[in-house]
Amino acid sequence: MTTYLSLMLLIPLFGGVLNALVGRNLPRRLAESLACAAVWGSFVCAVLAALAYHGPEKVVVAQWFQAFDLALPLSLYLDPLSLSLCLMICFVCGLIHLYSVFYMAAEADYARFFALLNLFVFAMLSLVLAENLVLLYLGWEGVGFCSYLLIGFWYTEKENADAGRKAFITTRIGDTALMVALAWLFQLFGTLSITQLNGMGFLLPAGIVTALGLLMLAGAIGKSAQLPLMVWLPDAMAGPTPVSAMIHAATMVTAGVYLLARMYPLIGSSTVTTSAIAIVGGLTAFYGASCALAQRDLKRVLAFSTISQIGYMMLGVGAGAITAATFHLLVHAFFKALLFLGAGCVITAMHHEQDIFRMGGLRRTLPITFWCFLAGAACLAGLPLTGGFFSKDSILTALWMKGTALTQALYFLGLLTALITAFYSFRMVYLVFFGSNAHQQGHHEQSDVLPMELVLIPLALLGLFGGVLDLPGYLGGGFLGSFLGPLSGAHPVEASHTEELALQGVAATLALAGVFAAHVRYGGAARDNRLQESLLKPAPLVAFLLNGWYFDALYRALLIRPYQALSRVLWQQVDEGVINGGIDRLADGVGSTGSWLGRWTTGQVAVYLLSFAAGGALLLGYLAWRSL
Amino acid sequence: MSIPLFHVLILAGILFAMGLACTIAWRANVIMMLIGIEIMLNAVMLTLVGGSAQWGSADGQIFSLMLMALTSSEVSLALAMVVYLHRRKQSVDTDDFTSMKG
Amino acid sequence: MNPDFPILTLLLFLPLVGGLSVALLWRNPATARFFALLVGLAELALGAWLGSSAPAAGPTGYFLYQDLPWIERFGIRYTLGMDGISLVLVLLTAFITVIAMLLFWQEVKERVALYFALLLATETGILGVFLSLDLFLFYLFWEAMLIPMFFLIGIWGNGRKLYSAVKFFLYTFIGSLLMLVAIIVLYLMHGAQTGSYSFALAELVHTQVPYTTGLWLFAAFLLALGVKFPLVPLHGWLPDAYCDSPSAGTVVLAGILAKTAAYALIRFAYPLLPEAAHAFTPVIYVCAVIGIVYGAWVAFAQTDMKRLVAYSSVSHMGFIALGIAAWSPVALSGAVLQMVNHGITTGALFVMVGMLAERTEDRESLHYGGLWGKVPVLAFFFLFFNMASAGLPGLNNFVGEFLVLVGTFRVAPGAALGAFLGIVLTLVYTVRLVQDILFGTPSQPVSLSDLSLRESATLASLAVIGVYLGVHPAPVLDLIKVPIALLTKA
Repeated sequence: MTTYLSLMLLIPLFGGVLNALVGRNLPRRLAESLACAAVWGSFVCAVLAALAYHGPEKVVVAQWFQAFDLALPLSLYLDPLSLSLCLMICFVCGLIHLYSVFYMAAEADYARFFALLNLFVFAMLSLVLAENLVLLYLGWEGVGFCSYLLIGFWYTEKENADAGRKAFITTRIGDTALMVALAWLFQLFGTLSITQLNGMGFLLPAGIVTALGLLMLAGAIGKSAQLPLMVWLPDAMAGPTPVSAMIHAATMVTAGVYLLARMYPLIGSSTVTTSAIAIVGGLTAFYGASCALAQRDLKRVLAFSTISQIGYMMLGVGAGAITAATFHLLVHAFFKALLFLGAGCVITAMHHEQDIFRMGGLRRTLPITFWCFLAGAACLAGLPLTGGFFSKDSILTALWMKGTALTQALYFLGLLTALITAFYSFRMVYLVFFGSNAHQQGHHEQSDVLPMELVLIPLALLGLFGGVLDLPGYLGGGFLGSFLGPLSGAHPVEASHTEELALQGVAATLALAGVFAAHVRYGGAARDNRLQESLLKPAPLVAFLLNGWYFDALYRALLIRPYQALSRVLWQQVDEGVINGGIDRLADGVGSTGSWLGRWTTGQVAVYLLSFAAGGALLLGYLAWRSL
Repeated sequence: MSIPLFHVLILAGILFAMGLACTIAWRANVIMMLIGIEIMLNAVMLTLVGGSAQWGSADGQIFSLMLMALTSSEVSLALAMVVYLHRRKQSVDTDDFTSMKG
Repeated sequence: MNPDFPILTLLLFLPLVGGLSVALLWRNPATARFFALLVGLAELALGAWLGSSAPAAGPTGYFLYQDLPWIERFGIRYTLGMDGISLVLVLLTAFITVIAMLLFWQEVKERVALYFALLLATETGILGVFLSLDLFLFYLFWEAMLIPMFFLIGIWGNGRKLYSAVKFFLYTFIGSLLMLVAIIVLYLMHGAQTGSYSFALAELVHTQVPYTTGLWLFAAFLLALGVKFPLVPLHGWLPDAYCDSPSAGTVVLAGILAKTAAYALIRFAYPLLPEAAHAFTPVIYVCAVIGIVYGAWVAFAQTDMKRLVAYSSVSHMGFIALGIAAWSPVALSGAVLQMVNHGITTGALFVMVGMLAERTEDRESLHYGGLWGKVPVLAFFFLFFNMASAGLPGLNNFVGEFLVLVGTFRVAPGAALGAFLGIVLTLVYTVRLVQDILFGTPSQPVSLSDLSLRESATLASLAVIGVYLGVHPAPVLDLIKVPIALLTKA
């Protein structure tokens, strides 16, 4: 097991380092194959580890560092949660690597791209596999770093570099909260081993557990782009589309959910924390969905929908339904990667046009993409019997069954969000694939897009049929539930079959209603009216949603501007003015006193003589006074 | 009869004070300043001679002789410098010469 | 090895003697350069050999020790000792000096021999501080290292070099004089109490110091060391001195000279005056946290690259001060490790900035841009060291910062929380610098040549050490373990 796990981490690390150091001098095909082989090698290791899996296992690979009682082993932990995530990560990332080979075919700087992708896989896997919180933090920062460079991959455009920087700094705010939690945990327990910490939560007073939970929540908020630190994710779409699919949809952004799920046994005992998680999740789900309604950029629609879907996962964690949250995490990874990769095909075919109002008619020109994208949209909308339906519904059911006023209020918010989600998903589908291709400027050759489209198929199948991973109780119960159940530390109330069916009926009705509404508003002839409207200045409400509730502007006014202004004040007024100026004034004072005293030396002999005589007189007087 | 040392010292003190006063006050003429210095030196010599007489030791007298020789050479140097200064600025007023400063 | 062989004296004076010989080669700059490098390398090799062959540390933690009478009338002895902390810093000093010489091989065009001689003389001064165990000897080296540095800035600097050199000298000198007073007072008190007058550290630690007197003495130490550290608000000399110094001088200043203050705080000030140090701990916390936040904040406003890195150095040194103030084993290990890390990382950053400035004679970061595509190797190293400086896990700074923060959080959570804020602010100015230099398109076209093989190899050695200390810092932590256990037990 040690071998599998260490190899799983080391292969992509090696691939990434190799590509980073010498990739530029390797033939293109070799660099690409190296990167893909590294990830698939990891996948093989993950599969082997899964086959050899008997039960939760902790593996110490090496000692990282030790200073007195602070010992940090490089220890890995394989349990159902990390195992299922590893399999998903390796598989999805492997597919996206393959996709990237074609998507980035025209890119000259392929070595940097693949090096970073591989390093990302390494960091993500170490985040998931870490048994030690500091190792988790290494992965946590590592994915942030890779994301920073990959968002700004096309660095010559200022906007891209800005977006990368924004993502890095915003997530760093959350990371720091996590680091505080680490320091605190070490102060309390003298260890940072996750398994040990999870077993010792009951030793703590409730207040401290709450505080720790909120700090971890802050970390998760940063990484998973939840309110109020979500502003970076829409901008992160500046990166290449495979990067968006891999990092900003399938894997990295769900790290926050993973962290909370992982630490749930420790922090879950605090109701304040779980409520906070649920509230953040619920509000974010609604926020993301509402913003997605008004977006015009295909990738930004998907970005806001990612924010919203992660909000659902947080809701699940907040409701104590770790299994449901993980289930949604896995299924979401498949269908959101699918949607992004589909969007990548569309964007390639449209010559890097991303405005959905300038697309249309792609149903006929890109049939495979269309059907796969449709499958993804169906999952996102939560149409009955798709994977997304079951996973989202298990979260909502858990919320309802928890039965407190808060969770039931959030349940209704979740339902409303589901309605909006279905609506914007099919708004996107209608605008992109239906209608006529009036605005198109000619297509790529089909063969350019075809290899990329092939990658979509397995993802579409997994998204559609991902539901079998964890079927509801009345269909025989799920594999995932029994696999994850005993470890999550939480025991959500089981719903009876009737209740479950009733709840699912409500959800299904709403999803279908959303699709119907989208059809009425964007399908058929109505689509052309919407296209006409889109040329006008957007209504205030639409502008509000389009700009993400103006959070960017708010932060710019409240945080960024004051920070910049104060930094200048600190430098010029305080540092140059007070500290340096003070010293310079002191020096000037000493200097001018000196020259003032120096005026005594007039050069006139008489003055010197007088001074001499006066000095002598003083001396004599002193001596006389002493001898008296 | 012998003069008590105390009287000698009083006389020397008066002489010294007069010399000093002359040197300080008469700054308009460098020659007068020099004369003041000579008077102060004489006061010192008087003290030495007085002391020598009091304790019956020749040291003070010898030192006075040395001082006389020194004074004469000093005066000749000083007068030479006065002539030079006068030639430069047509003046013997010490306040006209202010280049001795930092 | 013959145990009587004065190996420490050799280690200490090899650079000075070598430097004097280099100065004699003033007619032939090329030879002088080469010979100076040879001396530096010999010193590094000697240090490395000592490190690898060091016998097990005795109960006092010192594995090499030399004690000779010097001015016996005043109880002044020539006492050198090397324990784990000294060894680590000696190695850092020898290494950084070689790096500074190698990377700025051609930077100085005139009076080359003198320049290298002074660099080597500085090295001896710094080594002397790290090795002395007699307070008089320590003070001697402490002042002596100022002199060559003063000339390095004053002669080969740029900008307002004389202003900066004099400012640097006066700032540190005035602080040091107060420390001298404190040392003498201690000496007299100890002599009055025991009847034997001695400057030896081992003797003076037993002095009974009345509480109030101790406060004054510690304040004097703190002022002297705080200037060199530098602790905000005593850092006024630093931006000017770092900016106007020649690049190699900046690397030495930031990489090693600043560490002498931290070392002296650990080695002398705290053990000599433990009660007063305890009383002053809140002051150091406040200065450290303000330094971390303030330095990072002001660094953000800088567009002169060298000045930006200078302020970032203030911020990073704050972490070291924090770890020392906490005075717990974990935090202190972190502080010592961070001294090494800061030497490597900030040294490397000054090297990179110096290289850019050497190539274009322009330090304004806004004039650069898009270097990522133009000079990939340089850009790679630039990014690497910036990320190390921002504390990316897996690279060296992270380990030190983490130990400091975790160790401090245990004893002073409030101070640690302030420092956590610094982690965010550090990233803010770091990515701004990276973006200005590497990304975007230049506002003015800059023509640059990529790194030469010599430069790449030297930077690669720094980078390898950075990764090594980030992934496997155990060798350093093991070396400093015994001395730190001894220090914190007291």
